Amino acid sequence: MWKAVIFVSIVSLLHSTFSATQYRSYLRLVEQPFAGVLPLDILLQALLSLLLALVAIVNVCANFKEIRALDDLKYKSVETISNRASFYCFNHRGRLL
Amino acid sequence: MRTRKEKSGEVVAYSEAAIRHNHSILEYCRTSMSALSGFTAGVIGLTGILGFVFYFLVAIVLWLIILVKVGSSWDKYFRGRLNLLTNGLGGGLFTYVLFWTFLYGMVHVY
Repeated sequence: MWKAVIFVSIVSLLHSTFSATQYRSYLRLVEQPFAGVLPLDILLQALLSLLLALVAIVNVCANFKEIRALDDLKYKSVETISNRASFYCFNHRGRLL
Repeated sequence: MRTRKEKSGEVVAYSEAAIRHNHSILEYCRTSMSALSGFTAGVIGLTGILGFVFYFLVAIVLWLIILVKVGSSWDKYFRGRLNLLTNGLGGGLFTYVLFWTFLYGMVHVY
């Protein structure tokens, strides 16, 4: 779900890019100087899609691992240390009797 | 396996692989943040010192997002919270400037 959000926000960012280029070429056609600030809707669209992309990226990739080395050993008892799976023996002498 | 003595005198062992895994995730988020914020800064036409201020603002926003995502149990995953902000901050700046100048040139110059 968050991957779709990343996709949508990047498409929205590209859309605001095209809006900005069209605004600049419009200003050039009517021979007005650029005031230094884009119209508010393009500005808000770019900033909001950036924010959305950041939230989505953090939610997609942030599966952190616990850094305490002993956290998964805390619930095991001493007996598990002497447990060796390679030495399991399932044969029984009762089969030959 | 790394160990560190806590203030209470208790020795805590850290798993090196888990720390490295968490740092690689942070690096990924940082790189994406640099590229996307450079893109945005170029589109909205920031110049000069404002662009650099914008980078650090977005870095702080990303830090807050990660802190909200991790929640109150941050000490399970990281050894310090300020590290999350400062780690790789200067390296990401170069990616940021690359995208910033490229998009500024595409949108506002040509």
